[in-house]
Amino acid sequence: MLRLFHGLLACAILAISAFAASAERVLRLDEVAVGELDPAKASDYADSILMFNVYDTLVLPRQGGPGHTPHLAESWTGSGTEYTFTLRSDVKFQSGNAMTAEDVKFSFDRMVAVAQGLSFLFGNVESVDAVDPLTVRFNLSEPYAPFVSALVRLPIVDKQLVMANLGEGVGDMGDWGAAYLSQHGAGTGAYMVKSHNPQEETVMVKNDGYFLGVNEKAPDTVRLRYGLEAATVRTLIAQGEHDISSQWLPPEVKRALADDGNQLLTEGGTGSFYFKMNTMKEPLDDVHCRLAISNAFDYGSVLKLIAITDDISEGTAATGAITAGMFGAKPAEQSLSRDVEAAKAHLAQCSHDPSEFSVEISWIAEVPLEERLALLLQANLAEVGISSTIKKIPWAAFAGMVENPDNTPNISQIFVTAVTGDPDTLLYGMYHSSKAGTWQSPEHLNDAEVDTLLDAGRTGESDGERETAYSALNDRLLAIAPSIYGFDSQSVFVARPGISVPALSDPDMAFGLDTMGFAFRLMEIE
Amino acid sequence: MSDGSAMSAVLRLLAGRLAISLLVLAGVSVLIFAIARVIPGDPARIALGPNATPEQVEKLRGELRLDQPIWLQYGHFLSDLSRGELGTSLYTNRPVTRDIAQFLPATLELILAAGILMVCIGLPLGIIAAKNEGGFLDNLVRIVSLLGVSAPSFVWAVILMLLFAFFLPLFPIAGRIGTEFEIPHVTGFLFVDCLLARRLDAFADALWHIALPAFALALSGIGQAARLTRANMVETYKRPHIEMARSYGFPEWRIARKYAFRPSLIPSLTIIGLDFAAMLGNAFLVEAIFAWPGLSRYGVAVILRKDLNAIVGTVLIISAAFLIANLVVDLLIALINPRIRHSRDRA
Repeated sequence: MLRLFHGLLACAILAISAFAASAERVLRLDEVAVGELDPAKASDYADSILMFNVYDTLVLPRQGGPGHTPHLAESWTGSGTEYTFTLRSDVKFQSGNAMTAEDVKFSFDRMVAVAQGLSFLFGNVESVDAVDPLTVRFNLSEPYAPFVSALVRLPIVDKQLVMANLGEGVGDMGDWGAAYLSQHGAGTGAYMVKSHNPQEETVMVKNDGYFLGVNEKAPDTVRLRYGLEAATVRTLIAQGEHDISSQWLPPEVKRALADDGNQLLTEGGTGSFYFKMNTMKEPLDDVHCRLAISNAFDYGSVLKLIAITDDISEGTAATGAITAGMFGAKPAEQSLSRDVEAAKAHLAQCSHDPSEFSVEISWIAEVPLEERLALLLQANLAEVGISSTIKKIPWAAFAGMVENPDNTPNISQIFVTAVTGDPDTLLYGMYHSSKAGTWQSPEHLNDAEVDTLLDAGRTGESDGERETAYSALNDRLLAIAPSIYGFDSQSVFVARPGISVPALSDPDMAFGLDTMGFAFRLMEIE
Repeated sequence: MSDGSAMSAVLRLLAGRLAISLLVLAGVSVLIFAIARVIPGDPARIALGPNATPEQVEKLRGELRLDQPIWLQYGHFLSDLSRGELGTSLYTNRPVTRDIAQFLPATLELILAAGILMVCIGLPLGIIAAKNEGGFLDNLVRIVSLLGVSAPSFVWAVILMLLFAFFLPLFPIAGRIGTEFEIPHVTGFLFVDCLLARRLDAFADALWHIALPAFALALSGIGQAARLTRANMVETYKRPHIEMARSYGFPEWRIARKYAFRPSLIPSLTIIGLDFAAMLGNAFLVEAIFAWPGLSRYGVAVILRKDLNAIVGTVLIISAAFLIANLVVDLLIALINPRIRHSRDRA
């Protein structure tokens, strides 16, 4: 009898082991629609998740620290206006074609020709030369210190495959393969596109031929779903039908899911939340009025508003205009705080009489959190004697309004992220006078000193020079207060137990670049 | 009047309505084309983001023909439309016709299912209530139908999700079919594709997936159909011809079906038809909650992003659906109601 029992037990264990070994590891996560698969058009979070998994770049941000490491490139040399990269010889595209310097040149030319997504990052690149099959040279028109960091946004596409799938368009290159690449992958990445519906989901499967290999416990299949509602995600995770939420869930839902035993993953250090003040319109054209408002703002309460648990929040205290961890950022001990007396003193020096004006605080209709933040600011301003009104504006209307300073609200709210992790891509678009009047720059700032420092940060030859330039810039931006530096933003995701994402849970493994934490090959599913 | 002349009257009605529908559609196209262009915001700038150079923005504006006078833009639009093209969506970066072809079947399936529920549940509830006027069943139906019409579809969607997916995990809440099924895309209509693939298990799974969203979308219409049918039948029951039928000893079921329900059906049918068409536009939140990859969700997304080509394409499709629904309802009413046929014949 005992023998029979042992025999049955052994069979059961064998069966379970066999099942476990053969069970497919499926990762289900969600993001805001729409998922743009064409890497030359990728700019949003969902697009970037696709890009970083289906494609690879010459370099990657270093995990757990500043700087970059070679990836598709084996090494690189250069500075100023010329950079030369030696490519790895063991990389193959998902199609089986070998990756060469011609593919790198083609990827750059395509990105510039398509002229969408993040192609603006390469405005200083005059040309790219394929010196030999494994050597590629970038020629810049002027020194651009963040060039190497910009390369994390140049995904390398399979030239041969794209050329075989050119669609209709103007000139020899037709549509540059846009129609094909909007539905298919053509990269070297660790995951291959199985199906893609930009409004529903993209299904990706592991690329067993990936040049770096893929963790055995990494997901075999990934289903990136688009546009799920908070209630739906809440229910799906409770049902065990969803693994990682997007960062856009309301804090209360994240809190409820955390209370249910799910884990909270974080990604930060690349952007901040700002109240942007229109410096071209009364009364905020006066620096003292702006300083009155920035001193009146309650930086402590805003952190309570965005807290999810006692330990994890959607932001950390701001120390200035530059997000903590970047060149020029101030230490954490110097976080900004409310100073009502200073606010009143500045208001007394303002050339506009506070009893005669009311400032308009806008919030983006699609971001409900901003309404709460507007209400907080309104209450803060009332305490120092500034009246205000709150206005809800749809995103599309806001993006149009800000082109003209007269139409731009006195105060707008925006989250801004450095798309390459470098402060240049955070600050230049916001504060350089040549970039005024976009949704990133409703301050319409025109300050010669700020322009000079931004240019110095962009062209500095060493890290030390850049640090000096950005430190001075930070001080200047605090002194003239074109914005209230609300908090350094941190994306928080809910993941069910059993999913391990070191890049989003261990600071030593974090990439310092938005979305890179979602490199599926580095995840593990139990 | 013979059957033949009745049919020709219906055909004349159809032709007249078709001509009017085309005129309405042309008017809608002009209106939506103009309205989409006066909403604040530069679509090219919105699509390209804040860091795009002025040259990039101008290039895209040129590709979208936004640098041309609006009447010329409309001319190009008509010319493209005659070739079956609606331009490229800035939201998905794909041809709008392709997006519509991909997303419309999902919405049509959803509203068809909701429409079937509306007819199959709403009308019988109305009949039951009318036959039991003042009784327990009547009161019950009135309370249920009042609840149905009182809350919008998205509230029902959340309540149904909570009840039948969160607390009692009985139904799936995301997508059109389970991920384990891979059905070849033939028509885009999943139920049809399942049948073409001879996958009854997939068909059943698709039915299971559509149950909650369709019911949430139909609840308001069910309530409306039940209330209207009940009210009309109660009125009809008081008419002399019902008394006469009873005095002749006709069975009660026959009186209910032929002499009470049929005349009461006309106003209900009109409302159901309008509800059916309106669902195409109203399905947005239900589609969003149940992650249903349909046209309504797409329509709202493109409006928020000021995606001109996609806005015009989506509104035209929804308008056409309205017109077709109205046309079908008019035809059904003409077939049911001899007075309408006769009056048109006389005219």
